Amino acid sequence: MAYKPQYYPGTTSVGKNRRKHMSGDLEKLRDISDADVVTIMGHRAPGADYPSTHPPLAEMGEPDCPIRQIVTPTPGAAAGDRIRYSQFADSMYNAPAIPYFRSYWGAINCRGCDPGTLSGRQIIEARERDIEQYTKAQMDSEMNDVALSSMRGCTVHGHSLRLDEDGMMFDMLARTEMGSDGSVYYVKDQVGIPLDRKVNVGKPMSEAEVAKKTTIFRSDNISFRGDEGLIALHHMWERRSKWGFRPE
Amino acid sequence: MVTKSDTEPVQIEIFPRRFLNPETAQRLLDEIYRSEGVIRIMIQGPNLPRAIPYGPGKGIPIEEHKNLLLQLGEQALELRVKVGRIGLELESEEHIEGIRAACERTLPCSFNIKKRQLFHTKPTVSDYAKYGSEVDDKRILGLVDPKAKKDRNLAMLSDSRGDS
Repeated sequence: MAYKPQYYPGTTSVGKNRRKHMSGDLEKLRDISDADVVTIMGHRAPGADYPSTHPPLAEMGEPDCPIRQIVTPTPGAAAGDRIRYSQFADSMYNAPAIPYFRSYWGAINCRGCDPGTLSGRQIIEARERDIEQYTKAQMDSEMNDVALSSMRGCTVHGHSLRLDEDGMMFDMLARTEMGSDGSVYYVKDQVGIPLDRKVNVGKPMSEAEVAKKTTIFRSDNISFRGDEGLIALHHMWERRSKWGFRPE
Repeated sequence: MVTKSDTEPVQIEIFPRRFLNPETAQRLLDEIYRSEGVIRIMIQGPNLPRAIPYGPGKGIPIEEHKNLLLQLGEQALELRVKVGRIGLELESEEHIEGIRAACERTLPCSFNIKKRQLFHTKPTVSDYAKYGSEVDDKRILGLVDPKAKKDRNLAMLSDSRGDS
């Protein structure tokens, strides 16, 4: 019988969304072009060559190693790209993703990446052409709401603050703005350096929609107390307290 | 702003559900200023820096935060924060309803008004550092930003240690 991973317990919408994030089985909501993603990330100009830190692996003459024979390098590692990052902040007001589930998504679904989980932000590091692909996947999918999630390389706070009047997450560096057409535009890259042109990332979801898509338990939406996840957590806590977590 | 009164002053905090745009904050403060019985107003919220404070873009000006001004009566103040909460000291409790009505007229979102002690009654260390040991006008107590930069926000530093 083929192994089927069980990602997260619970029958609530939050439990289901958490399973979707972990499994990578996410709905694609928008299509932001590769060039726009690269522009917002700000590590290189769109269309420019990828700078490298070492020659392509094929030219390096790698040592005879069984692990190297088993593991196929990612495109970025094979080409010798630099390690770059993208970091997202998600509002606690029902943003679709939260740092832990961005990390689970990255660790489970993205090869050769290093996810870092912090209280109000989440960073993923990987080889440059790999991280661009992973960042685009995050921005295009239902993991992101353009008003409640935003790419912030530095000065990230906003997660735990109230929203602006227009429903956008507060940003001290004013990297994104709500256009008169109702779409959200990045006017600066992720570290706050102004862009030559605004990047349209689409319209935000409605409050009702984000409440359905969120992975955050909130007492004013889906409470943690009503979820099977809490029972599973108690079960694990009891087992590890009594027997040092030996599931057998 | 107002004259002395025989009634007991009260302190209230207006806490909107959303951060206020400078225009909304201006409208609300206009209404509050026109209301009777206001002794002190304090505006709080997250900092709006004039330049990127750190990271690769450190020092690049943030144009969106330039020239944000609040007009209060005859005085113009430079707005350095995103308005998140407004503290008020009122002459008496009967003025709270006027403030509540002003909030209902101007705020686009729901809000809470809580009555609590907001302003210091004794000088803090920051007050001492900036005003000296004796403060003539007690209304300024506790209104000093401890992080205030000397060249930017420090308006009253007593060289005479309160002897003047």
